Amino acid sequence: MNELFGSSRLARGLVASMAWLCYAFLLVPSLIVIPISFGNPGQIEFPPRQFTLELYRQFFTDPAWWGSTVQSLLVACLTTLATLVLAVPAAYALARSRLPGRGGLQGLFMMPMLVPVIVLGLGLYLQYSNWGLLDTTAGLVLAHVMLTTPYIMVSVMSGLSHSDVALETVASIMGASRLRIFFRVVLPQLKASIAVGALFAFLMSLDEVVVAYFLTGTDSMTLPVKMYSSIRWELTPVLAAVSTLLTVLSLLIALGIIAMQGKTEASQ
Amino acid sequence: MTATPVPAMVELQGVAKRYGEVNALHRVDLSIAKGEFVTLLGPSGSGKTTLLNLIAGMIAPSSGRIVIDGRDATTLPTNRRGLGMVFQNYALMPHMTVFENIAFPLEVRRLSRAEIKRKVGEALELIQLGHVAHRKPRELSGGQQQRISLARCIVYNPALILMDEPLGALDKKLREQMQLEIKRLHAELGITMLYVTHDQDEALTMSDRIVLMNGGRIEQQGTPDTLYFRPETVFSAEFIGSSNLIPGTIEIGSDGAYALKTALGSFDAPAPERAMQAGEPAVLLVRPENMALADAATPASVAGHIEDSILLGGVVRHFVRCPDGSSLIIQELNQPGRPGAHRGEAVRAAWQPQHGRLLPPAPAPAG
Repeated sequence: MNELFGSSRLARGLVASMAWLCYAFLLVPSLIVIPISFGNPGQIEFPPRQFTLELYRQFFTDPAWWGSTVQSLLVACLTTLATLVLAVPAAYALARSRLPGRGGLQGLFMMPMLVPVIVLGLGLYLQYSNWGLLDTTAGLVLAHVMLTTPYIMVSVMSGLSHSDVALETVASIMGASRLRIFFRVVLPQLKASIAVGALFAFLMSLDEVVVAYFLTGTDSMTLPVKMYSSIRWELTPVLAAVSTLLTVLSLLIALGIIAMQGKTEASQ
Repeated sequence: MTATPVPAMVELQGVAKRYGEVNALHRVDLSIAKGEFVTLLGPSGSGKTTLLNLIAGMIAPSSGRIVIDGRDATTLPTNRRGLGMVFQNYALMPHMTVFENIAFPLEVRRLSRAEIKRKVGEALELIQLGHVAHRKPRELSGGQQQRISLARCIVYNPALILMDEPLGALDKKLREQMQLEIKRLHAELGITMLYVTHDQDEALTMSDRIVLMNGGRIEQQGTPDTLYFRPETVFSAEFIGSSNLIPGTIEIGSDGAYALKTALGSFDAPAPERAMQAGEPAVLLVRPENMALADAATPASVAGHIEDSILLGGVVRHFVRCPDGSSLIIQELNQPGRPGAHRGEAVRAAWQPQHGRLLPPAPAPAG
């Protein structure tokens, strides 16, 4: 950077203001909902001319909003749990075994990251309509597990690369079975990476909208889908309150991830 | 080698390991008696770690049989061989306290909580680290961690403890302390130990028996004394201790006495262990501490001049350059008032003929 821009005060000032402009460009559209959410309950208005918590009251009392929120939290929890059960052992097996075709398997697990979400949504829609899985919680959880698996795998595999194989060897020499080694030696060392992966998966499932839009109906509608249709059909300012709450939740989870990552590094 | 009255704890029968075309280990026969302290000594790539991994069951032999404690263990999985192992990097579980680390093998063996507590306490007592039971390994020094990892082995009384360069990560002083500590534990508990190292001093200090490995084969095995004073090959002589090696050809007198004709003269020597023919090439080994600086010519002495003289504390080492360009090492006890040897000074390196040892010449390097 220094060579590129020189070290003159003017150049450094320019770089700094460009950085701040970028931050503003990224953040302001998201943050603008916060003042709106405390404003006029009748229509979306910026800058707000009054301060009230009316929009939050509406959100928490309207069963349509509150119901889809509970549904979203349920889907996110189930997705996280199911993905952990699937991805952690898979990551361990891929990291430690010398299976033939290991690279191929690993690629297969990473695939959902590469397939465009819209394509995945369409494909699942067509398939689920045959299987009667449309508009079911199970169907949506299954789809979200597919989306979040690669992220937990990556997180766990990076955790495994930091853990010493000699620990597993020595446990085996001491007489421990593979199962015991997995639960008593491997898992405890992966705690932090698993937590990071799990928070990530939770967050992804919580605000996933494309696939959920394809697969859900009135019975299983999640919050982001409800928000999207509300923009299309009613454009109520409650949206601002919902967005603010989601932003705060995401922020808390992101801070949790950062704290966890700090912890993993400190323990190395 | 010597027949042991004690039953064997480990027995390798014609065990070999090949990786594709490469022979990591040629057919090896080795028996370790109950309670014995055996060291596998050798340079890196000599096959000592391969041998250790074969016994631990981390790799499978290409041929041969491994018997542990009277049981054929050739295909037994690692966790059912009843062994213990100490690694160079300690391999303590970072997420467990010292107590939990030592308790782990007992948990595996499903001992009662009370018994685990008692045994871990005893093990910690033995290594005098009772006060750190509730700390995490990373809060301890390297030496302490290695003692914990020893205690973790001792606590469940395995048939055999394997040690893979366990002191390699420690500094010299700590290493010497730990050598004595391991020796003490071995003597007190009578555990069978197989120790891998490339450090000849460590091997000499600790072992009942040294197995010297070279190029995937056992070069020579025996007590530290045997290996030091009666090496059978040039490799053994050079790997253990330092040595002066003078090449020449065998001469046998009318009375059957051996001598070696060399570029530096002809020297009498004791008869070799395996008979040699006159005219055969051979090497005369004389240990540096069996050579001395002399003024007058003796039957076994070589003229030269001092190239360097270094002080090693209790001993002094002189490097003497001979007329044919070769160099000899002389090691003498350091005494107060010792006349200094000056660089370039003409001297004679002398030894008693009975301290020489005739060895077959080193095989030409393969390739």
